Amino acid sequence: MKRGLIAIAVSLLVLGSAAFWFFGTGDHKIGFEIVSFGVIIVLVGFGLLFAYRRLSAAHRGEPVEDELSKKIIQKTAAWAYYISLYMWVFMIWLKDRVALDTEQILGAGILSMAVIFFVCWIIIRARGLSHE
Amino acid sequence: MNNRIREFRARHDLTQDDLARKVGVRRETIVFLEKNKYNPSLKLAHDIARTFGVTIEEIFIFNEE
Repeated sequence: MKRGLIAIAVSLLVLGSAAFWFFGTGDHKIGFEIVSFGVIIVLVGFGLLFAYRRLSAAHRGEPVEDELSKKIIQKTAAWAYYISLYMWVFMIWLKDRVALDTEQILGAGILSMAVIFFVCWIIIRARGLSHE
Repeated sequence: MNNRIREFRARHDLTQDDLARKVGVRRETIVFLEKNKYNPSLKLAHDIARTFGVTIEEIFIFNEE
């Protein structure tokens, strides 16, 4: 329950900060800013989904976490970490080939890590864990 | 590993929600088990078997391959 409320608070804080940044940078938006804002919206949606799942489980009287949900998160974290290593190698390769600041490259990397985690979570849930 | 949870649940007239509550997991876990998308821990397998009053081997069928 508590972690669900924290997830909602953090998601709304991120959304507010992103909106402040996006709409505060003037009318002229470059593609990178638009894509970044879109990715942040998706990640906030993921955070709210996570919070909703926890709160609804608590509301139904179910355990918020059980052995399956813990295993899914553990496996997701392991996959996401492994894939993120390659993503950062790609970012190092990319940095000399695109006209982006260091902050933008780092921001894109961090957002990519979150997206990788989200995608891994969806794939692992769809595949299940029966092959282990 | 296959299982006969759905069959035993129907025999005992239990919903997925009822079984989840009895063994202390989320309903989603029972859904994953019935779809053979998750192999339970020994403790969960034991709890499910005990709920139905049978042995683990009667519910969970181990395949060699």
